[in-house]
Amino acid sequence: MAAIRKTIISNCEKTFLMKNLSEWNRLDGRSFTEFRDINIVFGKDWGCCKVSLGKTEVIAQVSCELQQTKSSRPNEGMLNINLELNTMADPSFDASRQSDLSSQLNRLLEKCIKDSKAVDLESLCIKMNERAWSLRVDINVLNNEGNILDCASVAAITALSHFRRPDVTCDGVEYKIHSIKQRDPIPTVIHHYPVCISYAILNEGEYILADPTLLEEGVAEAFLTIGLNSYKELCGLHLGGNARLATKDILETSSKAAKRATELVAIIKNAVEKDTQDRLKLNDIGFHIMPIQEKIEKSTAELSICLDQWTLSKKGKKKKSKNEPMDVDPINENNSDVQQCKETITPLGNGTAKLSEVKGENEWAIVESDEEAEVIFVEPPKADTVSISDSNSEEEQVVVLNPQRLKKSPSKRKKNRI
Amino acid sequence: MNRVVVGNYYLPGEIIKDIKSKDRETIIGPGLCRCEEDANCLVASQAGYLCFRSPNTYWLESRNNRYVPKKTDLVVGIITKKSGDTLRVDLGSAESASLSMLAFEGATKKIKPDVNIGDIVYAKVLNAHKEMEPELVCIDQYYKAGRLGVLPNNGFLINTNQKLTQMLLNAENPLLRTLGRQFPYEIVVGVNGKIWFRANQTKEMLTLCKMFEEAKNQSDQVITNICRQLK
Repeated sequence: MAAIRKTIISNCEKTFLMKNLSEWNRLDGRSFTEFRDINIVFGKDWGCCKVSLGKTEVIAQVSCELQQTKSSRPNEGMLNINLELNTMADPSFDASRQSDLSSQLNRLLEKCIKDSKAVDLESLCIKMNERAWSLRVDINVLNNEGNILDCASVAAITALSHFRRPDVTCDGVEYKIHSIKQRDPIPTVIHHYPVCISYAILNEGEYILADPTLLEEGVAEAFLTIGLNSYKELCGLHLGGNARLATKDILETSSKAAKRATELVAIIKNAVEKDTQDRLKLNDIGFHIMPIQEKIEKSTAELSICLDQWTLSKKGKKKKSKNEPMDVDPINENNSDVQQCKETITPLGNGTAKLSEVKGENEWAIVESDEEAEVIFVEPPKADTVSISDSNSEEEQVVVLNPQRLKKSPSKRKKNRI
Repeated sequence: MNRVVVGNYYLPGEIIKDIKSKDRETIIGPGLCRCEEDANCLVASQAGYLCFRSPNTYWLESRNNRYVPKKTDLVVGIITKKSGDTLRVDLGSAESASLSMLAFEGATKKIKPDVNIGDIVYAKVLNAHKEMEPELVCIDQYYKAGRLGVLPNNGFLINTNQKLTQMLLNAENPLLRTLGRQFPYEIVVGVNGKIWFRANQTKEMLTLCKMFEEAKNQSDQVITNICRQLK
């Protein structure tokens, strides 16, 4: 993957970035495990959303049409995911139809969403061996500031869960598609919400950066992309480029990613829920009411701090640099050291690093510690989806990292039903 | 309806009527064209805010992120390719520019400057035409380098929009001067939206980075006010 990305990076940017990383600093002030803010806005249509991750922006639109079913799968609908990279997003993108980068990103998205059977394709079938819905997700990149994949995967799953298809009736011969005004449109059945989470690997696996920016992507040697859902089930793993990465690191990173996935899914669900509420209340919806003022109202305080209160900002930086090593590689440090750090940091209050991050160490490696599992399955599973997802997970393609948890979960779900 | 209102937002194709002129002449800048039908009208060719300077100059200011090369512009670019006597330079525009190895001060066929791929150059656009690739030089008309040439590798380069670079290049803008009182730094601002800078300490460089990020979203007036308060 590293070779595919052709962002033009100058030598001085590279040296400055590496120098900063060696001091455990990232250029935008994030810690190594911190992600950029994600923002989801819905358009006027069903299945249209714009997702921004920092300054990376992506727009997704789901469309559907009736098609002849495939002979290999007569009782299933179809799902196509298409990610488009145009030169508008980044001049370095190839204008030709299929570049290596775009086919790779497309495949990863497909692996994450389609192959993990997130969308219930059987419910898309109208008549076996005859007609089924074919869903198509078009994703356009509006601005590239690094990590398109995370942004696109969130956009795709959000758009799919937001999408509603028109109702169809069949009188034996003819199919009639009812318009949205005639009959209420039907939501798509989503079994689980898989999202991609990417990490950039620099300096032969020494630095693992979450949610890399464009510059970090350009300097990185390898990329680790993990597809996960909120149940911590793995939906895809891709390690591209060349870096010597220990198995331990991958496991550790993926347990961190699992936490992020849970957060992301909660954000997606909240956003969809909020939008549905707005639609029910017949509020004005669409891109035209996007919060434009936000930018203008952004306080000027930051700027004046940069310009003047040099002493103050100096202090802030010092605090950060103290926190970050602890946040970044808690393994290398002794536990006593971490403890000390904790004690010194806690009184500082807001704005310091999150201490909770450190707890999630080696969650996957140790099978016995299942305390977390309890918390996860409290999340209310949809009544319809449960039975199907269970049957799915028995199939060979779904990889479950923690076998014990799987055994537990169906029994719990059954209990709920009774 | 489309009366000339300075500071109004115009979309491409919109007609701007009743413009001011002096001696029946009006100077128009980027983003505007002459209207074919009516002599006293202008047509916007970009989306942006209309600006006016008395007595008769008009232009549109828009939030451009992509640079379109223009003759005599001073730009900062990254060298992407080295082939024979010419270098390819990325300016952030649609097409990369070419820079001859001989266009450095004191360079001859035998003595060539030490330039590598990934280096940053500060250069002047010699010619730019829509059907030709832009050409850069690192010397002025007296064959002297002046301030042009290869920039040292211990700085940092950031990409911003062109509005910010125009603001920084404005001699009346106090932003850089105010910051200069805090710590010494070197800065090269290319009109193509690339800014190279160097300071003694990493901390100071990061402050510069952050400041440009913040200043991007602020208007000229706001920044001037902040700087005045700090004096």
